[in-house]
Parts: sequence; structure tokens; C-alpha cells
Amino acid sequence: MRRTWWIYLIGVLGLVAVAAPFLWMVLGSFKTQGELLRVPPTWWPQDATTQNYDDLFSKASFPRYFVNSALVALVVTAGNLTFCSMIGYALAKLRFKGRNALFIVVMATLMIPGMVTFVPLFVLVTNAGLANSYPGLILPFLVSPFGVFLMRQFFLGLPDDLMDAGRVDGSGELGIFARIMLPLTRPALATLGILTFLGSWNNFLWPLVIAQTEDKYTLPVALALYSTGQNAQNYGLLMAGAVVVVLPVLVMFLAFQRHVTKGIAITGLK
Amino acid sequence: MFTHSIRRRLVIGSAALTATALALAGCGRSSDSPDAGSQATTTVSQGPATGNLTVWAMGTEGENLPKLMEQFKQANPGVNVTVTPIPWDAAHSKFTTAITANTLPDAAMVGTTWMGEFADLGALDPTPQGFDNSGFYPGALDTTKVGGTQYGVPWYVETRLVFYRKDLAAKAGFSTPPTDWDGLKAMAKAMKDKAGAKYGINLQPGGTGSWQTVMPFAWSAGANITGDDEKSFTFDTPEMQEGLKYYQSFFTDKLAGTDLPPNQTEAQFVNGQVPMFISGPWMAGSVAKAGGDAIKPNIGVFQLPKNKTATSFVGGSDFVVFKSSKNKDSAWKLVKWLSDAKTQASWFKMSSDLPAVKSAWQDPSIASDPLLPVFGKQLDDAKAPPAIVNWEQIAAQFDTEVEKMTKAGQSPADTAKAIQTKATQIGAGGS
Repeated sequence: MRRTWWIYLIGVLGLVAVAAPFLWMVLGSFKTQGELLRVPPTWWPQDATTQNYDDLFSKASFPRYFVNSALVALVVTAGNLTFCSMIGYALAKLRFKGRNALFIVVMATLMIPGMVTFVPLFVLVTNAGLANSYPGLILPFLVSPFGVFLMRQFFLGLPDDLMDAGRVDGSGELGIFARIMLPLTRPALATLGILTFLGSWNNFLWPLVIAQTEDKYTLPVALALYSTGQNAQNYGLLMAGAVVVVLPVLVMFLAFQRHVTKGIAITGLK
Repeated sequence: MFTHSIRRRLVIGSAALTATALALAGCGRSSDSPDAGSQATTTVSQGPATGNLTVWAMGTEGENLPKLMEQFKQANPGVNVTVTPIPWDAAHSKFTTAITANTLPDAAMVGTTWMGEFADLGALDPTPQGFDNSGFYPGALDTTKVGGTQYGVPWYVETRLVFYRKDLAAKAGFSTPPTDWDGLKAMAKAMKDKAGAKYGINLQPGGTGSWQTVMPFAWSAGANITGDDEKSFTFDTPEMQEGLKYYQSFFTDKLAGTDLPPNQTEAQFVNGQVPMFISGPWMAGSVAKAGGDAIKPNIGVFQLPKNKTATSFVGGSDFVVFKSSKNKDSAWKLVKWLSDAKTQASWFKMSSDLPAVKSAWQDPSIASDPLLPVFGKQLDDAKAPPAIVNWEQIAAQFDTEVEKMTKAGQSPADTAKAIQTKATQIGAGGS
């Protein structure tokens, strides 16, 4: 009995540490700038206002930014789930000449920091005529070396016997991959999906640089545009914007989280 | 969410980006590399502007500029202007990548401290003849000059004044603001002793951007950042030490604190804990937001106190035309129209950005404001650092050394020497 008491205490403390900033953000989005800067700070908005949200949604193009962000994040996530699992499977389970060399190339690209390839990538995409277009926002991120690595490692852990059984029963290679092996990687796919979606949804610098007109801006870029001035910041608007940006991520996580925990159970059985 | 340090990281990161890109390209960008129209524009033709123009502008300016462009289109029916607003946070990265990939707009608003770098990258078109340069504030005009060549024009300006609580100043026995260094010190002391303030004045104890508050004192004592060549540094001079010493004395006399939480300047001003600070025109609005209508009549400003001079810092933004533009003639017409006194006054009403053109200050919307004319007067004696490529890096070192001076008691002489050594190591940069 005593033991559980401790565990609960630690759990509650952890929850407070994790949830407090988040709660502060949500409550702060209903405060005026004056109240946000007040000393000592207030927890509960004393004169609650929806002004920040009104300001945010009154920006004419707000739905546009949202659609841009969602479109880019969803396509990038779908692309990663498809291509990373395919490449990862090939590198882990199929025997072909140069497989290891190919894997080393993938790993090498993983080692180079994104900052170094940023400008060359930008020049490349611009020269391909894709500046200020959705393909320009999406294509460079459609498959990631990290995703390939993650999927390959996961496929390595699956027994070859499953593939042999499929072959014996007369399934084609694509069928083995799609119907037998891929469903078993659901936990890895869930992890990859969450990470990719988060990364793409929060990506700031690339969409900022590649979008040449406002109608191609994504949420983080628009949020930075409207909340941060040269010398002063609109904290209320920033909080409200952050709440709106975070919500879909939260929904996404709740949707995938079931699979992650389920996946942990499966891998535990193995 | 986006703090100063993140912003700095982005700036530094993007500087690294550019450097890498140039290295990877295998050749430095020579000053004439942009392919389209490498000839500098020398004169602007007569007649209205025509064709398509793309313009970048940051933050609120970017949001408001389309409204102003409607007026430009009325005067020039054949022109089509597209304004893209850019977030301040990473505007510098956006520009440097665009310079590298040659995807620049025709014209843009550019932060004054970036002029040296962009000009050195060969991106800016020198200002053609026919601009009334004597109409601009001299300090603002200097920000457009890199190595003797003028690029673009100053668009809007800001400068720093001493803000003070009028009611508490009266309580402290200062019904008229001080005009010299001793007077400012005495006022801060009286605020603390007689008006119940925790600290007399809010001065940034080093850290990002503190040079903007420290340098005015050094300038007022006669110091300069560089020699006339704008290459060699002159940080280690008796004048610089005098400025640093004066700044440090506020901390050693406990008239300014090193233990104040950041970003609380407005709140502490409103509750009277720290009833003075040095900052720019936007703070009047921020203070009013934090303190409501009750505080408004108690906000006072006065010019920086005098030593040899009473010099303040001038900031703001310039408006430039890029060399790579295919419609430079019309782009310059736009810039010229923007620096017209009438346009500057109507822009003030839309954006509350202070005009860089002196005559625009006679507009009643500015002249009848209780605070703004003081900024106008201070602008006659306001300076910006020379447009050197590596300024942001040197400023970061300056801020670090000032922090050591205010917080750890490093002597002004050692501080000046350390800044000089570090600045010389970094170098002014540029080709």
C-alpha cells in the first residue's frame, strides 16, 4: 500500500511539471497583454477575453494557413510511412547486390546536419522551378533517412520464417511485404508517423524560405509573422496561436497512441 | 516561445548557412554575380511606374504595406505590387538564402544592421541620383551607406529616450527632467530615496541588445566604434571607458539592478518599482497596455543626458532595391514615392512607424502628440553602428563583456580592452 502511495505522488508531480506550462499557455490565451505581463502573475484570467482568438481568426488567410499546414504534414507523413517502410524492408529482408553499400549511403545522409544541406537543397528546389509551390514544400521531406533506418531495424527483428511461410503458401513478394510483414510493424509505423507529422507540422524555416507569397505560408510561419514584432511581442496572440497549432498534434497523438502502447505489448511478447 | 536567444540562434545559424552555401558553391559571390541587370541604376526615368513589382516587408510593416500600396497603384495605374510579409524571427535567414539562390524580390524593407552584409554579398543596387538625401535624418541616412556607397533609403526610424514616471519624479523633486549625466544619476537616486522605488532606473545588465543602451553613453562621451576607415576598431579608448564607467556606476551604486526578471520593464514601470528606463517609441504603447488608461498621463520622456554630446541610438529600417530585379526603374520609383514626406506621414498613421523624412514630422498627427516630438528632437543627434558585415557577432561580444562588467565587477578599462581584442579577432569582415 505504501509503495503505491509513493508512485502516485511521483506521478502527480510529473504530471504537474508536464501539464503546467501547457495549462499556462491555454489560460494565457484568454488574457490581455497587460495581465500576461503582470507581476505577480495570475493563473486564472481575471478579465477573460476572447480577443486573442478574434484577432487570430480575423486574419483573412488563417484557414488557408491551416489547410497548407495540414496538407503538407499529411502528405509528408503518408510519404514517409510508404517509402520508408518499403526501403527499410528491402534493406533488411531482400538480398541484392550493393545492399550494404546502399544502407551506408542512407546512414551517411543521416549523419550530415540539416543546416549544412539547407541552402544547397533550397538552390536545388528553386532551380527545379518548385519555389513557392506545394511540391517544393513537400518533396524534400517525402522520405527521410531516419525513417528508413527505423523501419529497417524493426524489420530486422521480424523472423524470416514468416516470409518463407508466405512463399510456401504462394504469395508474391509484394503480398508478403504488404499483407504479412507490414502489419507487424504497426508500432514502428505509429512512432514514425507521429515523429514525421510533428516534424512537418512544426517545421518553420523551410516553409518560410520556400514560400514566396503569403498564400503558401504554413501555421508556424504565419504565427511568427503576426505575434512577433521588431521590438515588441503580442504574447496573447502567440498563446492563442500556439493553442490552435497544438490541438491537431494532440488529436494526432491520441489517435496513434493506442497503437504505440499496443505495439509495446506485441513486441514484449516476441 | 520565440525568445531573444532563439532569434539570435536563428541569425547566427543563418549566417552559418550562407557561409556554407558559399563554400559549397566553390566560389565567393563577387559583387556583380546576379545575372539580371548587373548594371547599377544611375537615374530613375520620368513617368509612372509600370509592370509587376514584388516587395518583402517584415512583421506589422508587411501586414500594413498593402494598404499603402493601394495609394501607389492609384498614382501609377500600370503597376501591380505584390507584398509578402515576412516574420521578423527568421527574416535574416530568408534574405540570405534568397541572396544565395537568387530568388530575391524587386524591393524590400531591410533592417539597418543588415545593410553591410547584404551590400557585401553584392545584392543591393546603389541608390540612383535624384533623391533628396538632405531631407532624411543624418543618423538614419548613415545606415544606408556602406563603404561610401549609398544603398536604398531610410524608411522609418526609431530612437531611444529616457522614459520616466511623471508623478514619481515630482515626488522625488524633479519637476523638470535632467539634461546632463550628473543630473540623470541624481534623479535615479532621488527616485530610489524619495519616491519609494526599488531601483532608480531599469538598465539592461548586459545580454543581447544591451549595446543599444550602452553605446549612446559611449558616443556621448566622444567614443567611436571604428576609425574613419570603418575597418579598424576603436573600442579601447578613454572615451569608451568613460561611457562604460558611467553605465557601470548605476549598478555599483545600486541604482540599477542585476537581479530583475527579464521582460518586466513595463510592469515594473507601472507598479513604480523601477520608474525609469531607456527605450524606443513602441514602449509608450506597451506601457499603456500593461497599465491601462491610468498610467498614460504619467508617462514622460526626455532626451538622453549630455556629456560632450547627447547622442542616442537610431534604429529602424531601410528600403532597398535589389540588383537582381528585372524592373529596377519602377522599383526605384516605388522607393522614391515611399520616401516622399506626404507618403511618410500617411504611413505613420497606418503603422505608427516614425518618418525618416524630417519634414513629415510637421504633420499634426505627430506634432500634436505629447511624446513623439521629443523623439524627433533626439533624432537630430542619434547614431547607428557603421555598416560592417560582422557587426552582429561583434555586438554579441560587446554584450557579453558588458554583462561581466555589470554583474561581476570587471573594470571599465578591462572591458574596453576585452571588447577591442575580440572585435579585432572577428574583424570587420567584407571584401
